[in-house]
Amino acid sequence: MPASALFAATLEQSINKVLALDSESESRLAELNGSRLIAFLSPMPFGITLVFSDRVDVLIEHDDFESVKAQLGPKDCCIKTSLDTLPELRETSQLTRLIQQKALYLEGELGVAQQVSGVFQNLDIDVEELLAVRTSDVFAHQSVESIKALHQKVMSMLTDARSVVGNAMVEEKKIAAHKLAVMHFSDEVSALRDSTERLDARLRDLEERFK
Amino acid sequence: MSDNQASSTPVEPSSVESSNEQTTHFGFKQVEKEQKASLVANVFDSVAAKYDVMNDLMSMGVHRLWKRFTIDCSGVRAGNKVLDIAGGTGDLTAKFSRLVGPTGRVTLADINLSMLQVGRDKLRDRGLVGNIDYVQADAEALPFPDNHFDVVTMAFGLRNVTEKQNALNSIFRVLKPGGRLLVLEFSKPTSEQLSKLYDMYSFHLLPKMGQLVANDAESYQYLAESIRMHPDQETLKGMFEEAGFEQCDYQNLTGGIVALHRGYKF
Ligand SMILES: C[S@@+](CC[C@H](N)C(=O)[O-])C[C@H]1O[C@@H](n2cnc3c(N)ncnc32)[C@H](O)[C@@H]1O
Repeated sequence: MPASALFAATLEQSINKVLALDSESESRLAELNGSRLIAFLSPMPFGITLVFSDRVDVLIEHDDFESVKAQLGPKDCCIKTSLDTLPELRETSQLTRLIQQKALYLEGELGVAQQVSGVFQNLDIDVEELLAVRTSDVFAHQSVESIKALHQKVMSMLTDARSVVGNAMVEEKKIAAHKLAVMHFSDEVSALRDSTERLDARLRDLEERFK
Repeated sequence: MSDNQASSTPVEPSSVESSNEQTTHFGFKQVEKEQKASLVANVFDSVAAKYDVMNDLMSMGVHRLWKRFTIDCSGVRAGNKVLDIAGGTGDLTAKFSRLVGPTGRVTLADINLSMLQVGRDKLRDRGLVGNIDYVQADAEALPFPDNHFDVVTMAFGLRNVTEKQNALNSIFRVLKPGGRLLVLEFSKPTSEQLSKLYDMYSFHLLPKMGQLVANDAESYQYLAESIRMHPDQETLKGMFEEAGFEQCDYQNLTGGIVALHRGYKF
């Protein structure tokens, strides 16, 4: 029996349990509905696909990066790197080098990776406290620790994914330049709108005072 | 004691079966071909309500991993049209429904209305609505247009079909060129030791569990016998090829207790 199926089942259950602990997850997942994030992290012998609907399904990808790349849909994003390289992705300055050295590949809709990392990073839960309410013995404590460890692992993988996307926006203009430019532009527009609104409020405040 | 064991060792009547074209096997019994469908229907009418519980119990939950592996191998994508034939209570359909998304469609088809109803209620309770069709259909004569589906799956259904080759031909017809068929089915354990252990389990323990949990030893006796009567890995692969499938292969799961056969239509 394939151990990969057991691995996927465990990962899927953990992810969905963690997400269910935050009531905001539902609306964040809704934005991702229909998207996929496919990650090939060598030396893992297979890729992992996260499929987003009202929950997250985890699939094992038996095809290789090249064939997956060829079949990417409009809401799919595919990342290929190695587990060893993951820590390096935090360094913005390393990204271009990694891509040039073919130690990192990014394909498809990069916004998906960014949104996925958002789903996990914005989680607002105290896992330990939640579980401590229901359990009190040593075994329960150990479970809390292992769930926390798994949670952290998922978070750190997704943080890496997020920093890859963020940095790619700054550094690797050649990658999906158009989409990135649009995303960057809309971020700037939001920031500008916020400042304008603040300025507007201050002006109104001043007007009131001098009346 | 040893006499007892000898008499309880299952011996499949395969030679008898092939000698008469008008009859077929229903478990170890020989029955008229026209009778088999209604006998199978009785079995699944009888087990429908307890089917999911029994599945988990009998396989110790492992059937979920077998099904998961099947889905991993399906290559299903958003927007695909999927047929889950002999889909029963809809385990595969549930997952496919999320994977194909709102632009795709999944058809849960089964010959048995009781199983379909249990499946439909279960999926609706899970909020899976909108992209699933429920169709009562015989795998041997599928009521769908030619070249219609991207993926067809059949999990633990083929061994119940009277003319298995007809079912494979019919599936071939409804698949789109480039589409694939996945058949997950009990098969022949690859080691002698495992085979003996498995026989003990399926012929002695399984009917007792069926009696205890579902109050139905007979149906679970049929299950054990029908598994024995099902073609082995290589034979089934040959049947795929005969239907026109290409690049056929299979993967043994849990030592060959179950095998996943795959074939493409080009
Ligand atoms: C063991 S159940 C499997 C259900 C489901 N696929 C699963 O894996 O849980 C077998 C199913 O095959 C269906 N079946 C038997 N003969 C069939 C036929 N000729 N055409 C379509 N379905 C059939 C039965 O009604 C039953 O629901």
